[in-house]
Amino acid sequence: MTASIDINKVTKRFGSLTVLDELSLSIPANEFVVFLGPSGCGKSTLLRMIAGLESVDSGEILINGERIDDQPPGQRGVAMVFQSYALYPHMTVRDNMAFGLKNISVDRAVIEARIAEAARMLEIGHLLDRKPGQLSGGQRQRVAIGRAVVKEPKAFLFDEPLSNLDAALRTRTRIELAQLHQRLKSTMIFVTHDQIEAMTLADRIVVMNNRKIEQIGAPMEIYNRPASRFVAGFVGAPAMNFLPVTIRENAGFVAATTGAGLELTTAIPTSGLPDGPFELGIRSEHVRITPPTANAAEGVVDVLERLGERTLVYVRLGDGQQIVGSDSGDSRVAVGDRVGLAFEGAKAHLFDASGRAWHGGEAGHG
Amino acid sequence: MASHNSEIIGRSFGDRVLFGLVILLALVMAGPVLYVIALSLKDNKELMVDPHSVFHMPYTIKNYIDTIGTSNVFSWVFNSIIVAGGLTVFTLILSSLAGYGFARLNFPGRAVLFVIVLLGLAVPEQAVLIARHQIFSWLGLHNSYPGLILPGLSSAFGVFLMTQYFRAIPKELDEAAILDNASRFRVFWKVLLPLTVPAQATLGIFTFLGAWNDYFWPLISATKKEMFTLTVGIASTQMNFAQSQGIGFLMAQAVFAGAPILIIYLFFQKYIVTAVSGAAVR
Repeated sequence: MTASIDINKVTKRFGSLTVLDELSLSIPANEFVVFLGPSGCGKSTLLRMIAGLESVDSGEILINGERIDDQPPGQRGVAMVFQSYALYPHMTVRDNMAFGLKNISVDRAVIEARIAEAARMLEIGHLLDRKPGQLSGGQRQRVAIGRAVVKEPKAFLFDEPLSNLDAALRTRTRIELAQLHQRLKSTMIFVTHDQIEAMTLADRIVVMNNRKIEQIGAPMEIYNRPASRFVAGFVGAPAMNFLPVTIRENAGFVAATTGAGLELTTAIPTSGLPDGPFELGIRSEHVRITPPTANAAEGVVDVLERLGERTLVYVRLGDGQQIVGSDSGDSRVAVGDRVGLAFEGAKAHLFDASGRAWHGGEAGHG
Repeated sequence: MASHNSEIIGRSFGDRVLFGLVILLALVMAGPVLYVIALSLKDNKELMVDPHSVFHMPYTIKNYIDTIGTSNVFSWVFNSIIVAGGLTVFTLILSSLAGYGFARLNFPGRAVLFVIVLLGLAVPEQAVLIARHQIFSWLGLHNSYPGLILPGLSSAFGVFLMTQYFRAIPKELDEAAILDNASRFRVFWKVLLPLTVPAQATLGIFTFLGAWNDYFWPLISATKKEMFTLTVGIASTQMNFAQSQGIGFLMAQAVFAGAPILIIYLFFQKYIVTAVSGAAVR
């Protein structure tokens, strides 16, 4: 069972505070969509509106073309996995999974069959007679997913379900969720503020900020061609480097000069650019660490982060600005060393005063 | 190493002192109870002659046989069970419903109404006694079980306790149940109410003990002997029969009167400790 979900000009207010402002989004059937954004951006509110746990002030929500925002939550055909799992503490795992089906008078044999199938798929068969208090965090998480699975919903809604797990379990569960999606072929909406979860799970990411959608796109599209300065700064670890620049035209493309006097030739066309000021954005993997040279930017190493396959080098420039560059995993650079920075100008992005992004390549801007 | 040893010795000595104090305190608490039991096992005539005979043989169960044969204590115990039991059951039902309402439902005037309920905690029973007596008199409820039960049902403490307990239950449970197609009543009955058992136990124990030991209102409302509760009945015996029938007989009735509450203590010891320590209320 699967469904498309359409959100048309949906607005949500809490008193005088508008948390979602005329937001529209279409999710095709079977897609794994991740709502990504900082705390308070409205992503959980949007999910809860789809579930029916929050009312819609204006606009409409449709599942398979049928308007559902005026229907009670239980009749929308969606199942939700909560951040806290929200398992009924006094019921056994079996009763937790059966509760929703009993409420709609599903035949007892059907309930047992569905529980058995979900338990087999999630490997929780041996836990069915335990109560949630007797389970570990990871087991509770599986039970919460199992409770959703047995309902055979049109869409699964996940509200930060991995937040309460430790790092190792989170990684494992992430992979299992991806496998679950492949097996069930169901529409899934996943809310998170963790960009790694978003990048690894999503068919498409919806980046949200400040009551609206900043960008919708495939993970690598979001990463490589962020639509705005916010998306560029929010997605990616470490965050993109931003440098205030002045620009001039060089054979139809932007040549940007930093405050420290370094000039970079980019692949960004100048046509259509508004008036300044501008910021140049470049990711750490496009800033290589070199020996100090006269005609390159240079600075002093502040901090080193050794990640194994590469080393992140935090360099303080002469004007006080910090830039994160990338060196090999066995880099011999030490804190306090003076190093040079080689920017790959072709990979740079430009952000105008409104925060809009301008990229190199055939698309022009995001 | 030396300081480590002295620390252990010091702690052990402190524990012993504390243990001794606890035993002393327990004896102080248990002394009167043991004295009552001892008196109930003595012949009344012997006690009249020598009050100190309580401390030595012979002992007899004659007072208990007389109590079973002649006293009204069983009808008073029955009345107390009806009143305390009924009051407890209805208080739990009403307080749970009200607590759920205040904690989970949005309705106009909720905050004001809750403050009014809390103000009920500050109003002493004596302040409303005359008005209540008058109303119950008009309604013809004196000398009846409803007359003894109804005044205790408006439990501000119960509503407050249950409201706070329902508030402490995560709302995600309600939401999960709503998404599971449960009606509001089913959410209350099947999901939330079972989670309030510790609070129900606390409230139930306090309500039952309060009603069992209540003397003031039954004294006013129950004027006929057959409607006396235990407290009123024992007091009437003390006033009328202590001299004529003897202190041993009176104490035997007191033991009978105390037995049900002792049994409750034994059964619900864990809950009572939790209730008194406040550990049940998160």
